[in-house]
Amino acid sequence: MFQLTATPQNGLADEPVHIQVTGLPPSQMVTLKASLKDEKGNLFRSKAFYRANEAGEVDVERHPSLGGDYIGVHAMGLFWSLKPEKAFRRLLKRDVINDPFRVTLDLYDSVCLQDSTTAQPRASQMVQRWFSGPGVQRKQIREGRVRGALFLPPGEGPFPGIIDLFGNIGGLVEFRASLLATHGFAVLALAYFAYEDLPEKLLELDLEYFEEAANFLLAHPKIQRPGIGVISVSKGAEVALAMACYLKQVVATVCINGPNAVLDIPLRYRDLLLMPMHYHREHIQTHVSGAVRFRNGNRDPWNELNQQSVLPVEKAQGCILFIVGENDECLDSRAHAEQAMEQLKSHGRSTGKMLVYPGAGHLIEPPYAPLCFASWSTALPCPVLWGGDPVAHAAAQEHSWGEIQKFFRQHFRGTRGKL
Amino acid sequence: MVQLTGTPLSALVDEPVRIRITGLTPFQIVTLQASLKDEKENMFYSHAYYRANKVGEVDLEHDSALGGDYVGVHPMGLFWSLKPEKLSTRLLKRDVMNSPFQVQIKLCDLMLPLENQVTSTSKVSLTLERWYVAPGVTRIQVEEGRLRGALFLPSGEGPFPGVIDLFGGFGGLLEHRSSLLASRGFASLALAYWGYKDLPSQLQKIDLEYFEEASNFLLRHPKIFGPGIGVIATSKGAEIALSMAVHLKQVTATILINGPSSIYGFPHVYHGHTYQPIPYSIQFLSTNALGFIEFHGIYKEIGVEPSQSFLPIEKAHGHFLFIVGEDDKNTNSKEHAKKATEWLKRHGKNNWTLLSYSGAGHLIEPPYSPLCWASKIPNVSTPLHWGGDVIAHAAAQEHSWKEIQKFLRRHLIPMVTSQL
Repeated sequence: MFQLTATPQNGLADEPVHIQVTGLPPSQMVTLKASLKDEKGNLFRSKAFYRANEAGEVDVERHPSLGGDYIGVHAMGLFWSLKPEKAFRRLLKRDVINDPFRVTLDLYDSVCLQDSTTAQPRASQMVQRWFSGPGVQRKQIREGRVRGALFLPPGEGPFPGIIDLFGNIGGLVEFRASLLATHGFAVLALAYFAYEDLPEKLLELDLEYFEEAANFLLAHPKIQRPGIGVISVSKGAEVALAMACYLKQVVATVCINGPNAVLDIPLRYRDLLLMPMHYHREHIQTHVSGAVRFRNGNRDPWNELNQQSVLPVEKAQGCILFIVGENDECLDSRAHAEQAMEQLKSHGRSTGKMLVYPGAGHLIEPPYAPLCFASWSTALPCPVLWGGDPVAHAAAQEHSWGEIQKFFRQHFRGTRGKL
Repeated sequence: MVQLTGTPLSALVDEPVRIRITGLTPFQIVTLQASLKDEKENMFYSHAYYRANKVGEVDLEHDSALGGDYVGVHPMGLFWSLKPEKLSTRLLKRDVMNSPFQVQIKLCDLMLPLENQVTSTSKVSLTLERWYVAPGVTRIQVEEGRLRGALFLPSGEGPFPGVIDLFGGFGGLLEHRSSLLASRGFASLALAYWGYKDLPSQLQKIDLEYFEEASNFLLRHPKIFGPGIGVIATSKGAEIALSMAVHLKQVTATILINGPSSIYGFPHVYHGHTYQPIPYSIQFLSTNALGFIEFHGIYKEIGVEPSQSFLPIEKAHGHFLFIVGEDDKNTNSKEHAKKATEWLKRHGKNNWTLLSYSGAGHLIEPPYSPLCWASKIPNVSTPLHWGGDVIAHAAAQEHSWKEIQKFLRRHLIPMVTSQL
């Protein structure tokens, strides 16, 4: 009898799952399908075709997929190649404490192309993918102006504190903060617009808001002193880099696919005002799918005219890790990170590190998250192109997640406290 | 006063249009948007940003688009970069005789698509008619014997060279290429072979005698001269055309667009003889980043002797024109054409030409047709990824269309030799 196993059945979303099939006829062609419904009822699906070996087994960890949504040996391929049934939907977990994503794995004993409901799977398993571990606590934060959610690991602490910033998606995105908290960090998922009583639209970045958040964290009894870290992506990474430059409280910053200069809207810190780079909307191109490719907006950080917008990274007191997806279609992340690294070097600072991932796109997330190649953006009538080659992007997510945690641990090791 | 002109206002769809703007402020940046509504009310849009020169003019013939759906100097860019509002919708003209496609060109200040085109107001616009048929071309519904299709005859007395036009996995009857060929002087039979009227509803075994009937029908026609006819075919149609070239002496010019070099999936049958197909290896399909299906991997020949699967194309009497889109994601056309041409070379034949286009996809159509990058076919629930880079694909369509006509003329119109 066919047996489909997936271990662990309940696991963290950033942990691998070992999928195996036994009891097949030797050399039988099979189809493995994964499906998931998000909290809004959107369906995401993936499939791969395998040939059982002489012993009638398929081990996704060791055997290659012959075709489907990924080809070759990819233990977690069914997860990171999940695609929305309706194009341009992004998979994003909103409730990270009470509820997991439920992924259904189905086995068909033939090459099954169609996604019709008439073909019945021969075996099925359901795996739960949790975004927080046991004992992680979530606290809604409404202190002063600060709005967000603080995730604390179980135990007394104190824990290294990290602020987590997302980009132009706005609102509050919590899934990365909750996962990091599961790995021993106290993480404040911080909203800065389009959330509760925060401004609906971002017209200006007020760094004092983020300083308030940093001070809030440092005043918390379960959070280590004297410095905090920041993890950030996209627009959030612009904010994080500014924080690193101007706030001495920030001792370790991870910037994922962010600019090294102020973009689109001014940045204010006390009596300092930085104007954004010149932007050429007429250079924006459209991808063949109709998604907009912002990369060519000619935000050239090397251009003389843009120097007044460039962030003074040499002023940063802590360490900075730049994570770059070379196939980022939203921003020329590599050029921005390289200029920041060059700036540090020319000021004799060795506090910067850059990890460049060929083939990775803009939205580098925790491991096994499906590549979001393009998705609808709240502010625009058309989808936005993020880019990325599925296999390379998945590898970048796996590798960078380990590097990010290593970076934070290395930095916080010197200070007191337990990890 | 701002003026937008397009010349000619009414033309064949394979003819270029010259678009110019005057009366702008010097160096003003403008957005040109094209829109089209197809016969099923699907909307298609394209846009590009231009900068006026120092006298406030833009001329698409020599000015460079700065961004939008294409960059660079592309006088017809607004046409071939049209994109469906609903992803993976293919632009296809069904009624080729009685109405053109109407393309509206609008001049806007707004930076589309970032600002919603529904709300964009424009004072300056023009409407161009794009016809699939020239004046005087006649269309005859064909229902002779088993044959089902439409015969397009050029204007005039004739006689004209005859061509059979075959498409592939869409089934039904696609007439837009035949009507254009007729507008260019060829008698073209758009021939259906499945999914149309009383023909089989699913693609099944290919009965070559049906296509032989079609060839004879053409040659019998008083307005068509022989002794040979041409075949122009895409995809699955090209597989059939290859078989026709081998078995039917009447076929003297065969154009194969992105087709396989062997028989796949369903057998070909001819006068009691069955030619076994290579099965499609569906397990080798792949998908792109948006989940659209790429079939180019399914043509692997597993467990089949190359010699027995290969069509004896060295036996063909006529000439071949292989047209390959190197970015074809549906069929590994480049490999197939390579196999076919190497086979011919090995047999001492040089009756072929290969046109291989870097960056072109599967659906190489007449010039200025929008790149159809992905669309659905019957019986497959997920859209197919056809491939193609917008700019390169457009160039391939322009170049190949000229070559197709040259090829047909060279091999179908008998040389008139002097009687001196």
